[in-house]
Amino acid sequence: MALRINRPAAETTDRIRKAIEAALPGAEVEATGMGGHFEIRVVSEAFEGKNTLAKHRLVLGAIAELMKGENAPVHAVDKIEALVPRQD
Amino acid sequence: MALPPELNDRLTSIITSDSVVLFMKGHRGQPQCGFSAQITQVLDRVLADYTTFDVLSDMEVREGIKEFSDWPTIPQLYIGGEFQGGCDIVKEMYESGELHGALGLDRPTGETPAVTLTDAAATVFQGALQQQPGSEIHVAIDARFQHSFGVGPAEGDETRVPAGPIEVLMDLDTLARAEGLVIDAVDTPQGAALKVDNPNAPPAVQQLPVGELARMREAGAEFLLIDVRPEEERQRAAIEGATPLETIGDFEGVPRDRTIVLHCHHGSRSQAVAEELVGSGFQSVFNLAGGIDAWSVEVDSSVPRY
Repeated sequence: MALRINRPAAETTDRIRKAIEAALPGAEVEATGMGGHFEIRVVSEAFEGKNTLAKHRLVLGAIAELMKGENAPVHAVDKIEALVPRQD
Repeated sequence: MALPPELNDRLTSIITSDSVVLFMKGHRGQPQCGFSAQITQVLDRVLADYTTFDVLSDMEVREGIKEFSDWPTIPQLYIGGEFQGGCDIVKEMYESGELHGALGLDRPTGETPAVTLTDAAATVFQGALQQQPGSEIHVAIDARFQHSFGVGPAEGDETRVPAGPIEVLMDLDTLARAEGLVIDAVDTPQGAALKVDNPNAPPAVQQLPVGELARMREAGAEFLLIDVRPEEERQRAAIEGATPLETIGDFEGVPRDRTIVLHCHHGSRSQAVAEELVGSGFQSVFNLAGGIDAWSVEVDSSVPRY
C-alpha cells in the first residue's frame, strides 16, 4: 500500500519567494498558502510606473515554471499584491 | 505556437468593435460564472454601455483569446483595443482609480450623499440584518441607474453612509449617484418591496394610455406625435397628425424639453425608440401604450386594425 504524503506547503512558498527574488532583484516577497493555492505580496521598484496588468505579469512570469504541467506545485494564485516601495 | 491568421484577424476585429469589450462566460445580464459576474458588476458601476462576447458560444474564440492576450483565464477586458486583465485586476483597477482613468472618466470624489430611509424601509432592512447577523446592507446604483440592494459581509471598497437609523454600504460610483436618494418600502401581495426615488436618475420613458392621448389632443396640448412604423404600415392605418419618424431624421432642431409621444403598431418598437431618445437627453418622452391598435379599439374605430 502506497502511502501518499503531500509535500509541505512551506517548500512551495519558499520556491515562489526565490523565483520572484531572482526575477526582480531587491524585491521583498511574501508568499502564503497551501494545497496549490497561494497569495503573493511583492514590493519592488520594478513596478514603478507600471499598470496593474504589467505588475501582475511580472509576478506571474517569475513563477511561470512553478505553474507548468499537470502536477505543478502552484495550481492557482488567488491574490497578487504588487506594490512599489514607499518613498520617504 | 502562433494563432492562425484568420483567427488573429477575427479576434482583432472583436476587440476593436467597441471601445470596451469584455470576453466573458454568458451575457452581461446572465453571467455563467462567478468571475464573469463579478467583473460585469464592477463595469456596470462605471459604464452604461459596453460590448460583451460570450466565449461559451464560440470555442475558437474561447481558446484563441487566451493565447492572443497571453492570459490563461476568462473573463478578459479590453479597453481601446488594449488588454487590461481579468476579474481580480479589474477590481483592483477600480479600487485604485486606474479603471476610471483607462476609460477616460473622472473618478468620483467619494463625498457622502444624504440618503433618506423611510420608517417602512428601515423596518425591512433591520429585519434583514437580524436574520443575518454580522451582515451589512449594500446599496448599489449602476451607470444605468438600476438600483439594487444586497445583504452580506462588508467589502473592502465600500463606504458607510448613514441612512435613518442604520448605515448602508455604497461603492464609489454609487455615492456619486445617491445624493437625495429616498428609499421607501411598499406592501405588495408578495410582501414588502423596496421603492426608490432618485433625483439624479435620468427621466424614464413614460407609458401613455390611448385615452390620455385623446384628452391631450382635445385640450390642444403642445407635443410631437411620432409614428415609428415603416411606410407600408402607415398606409394601412395611421393616426391623424402623426409625423413619420423618417421625416424627423436625427431630431436635430427638436428642443430636448419638447414633449414627444411615440407610437407603433402595439407599442414595443416605439418603446425602443423612446428609450434611445431618453438616452440622448430628451426629458419628456411618452410611449403610446398598446400602439395604434389600442387607439383604434378604444378611441377611433375609423382607424383600421391590421
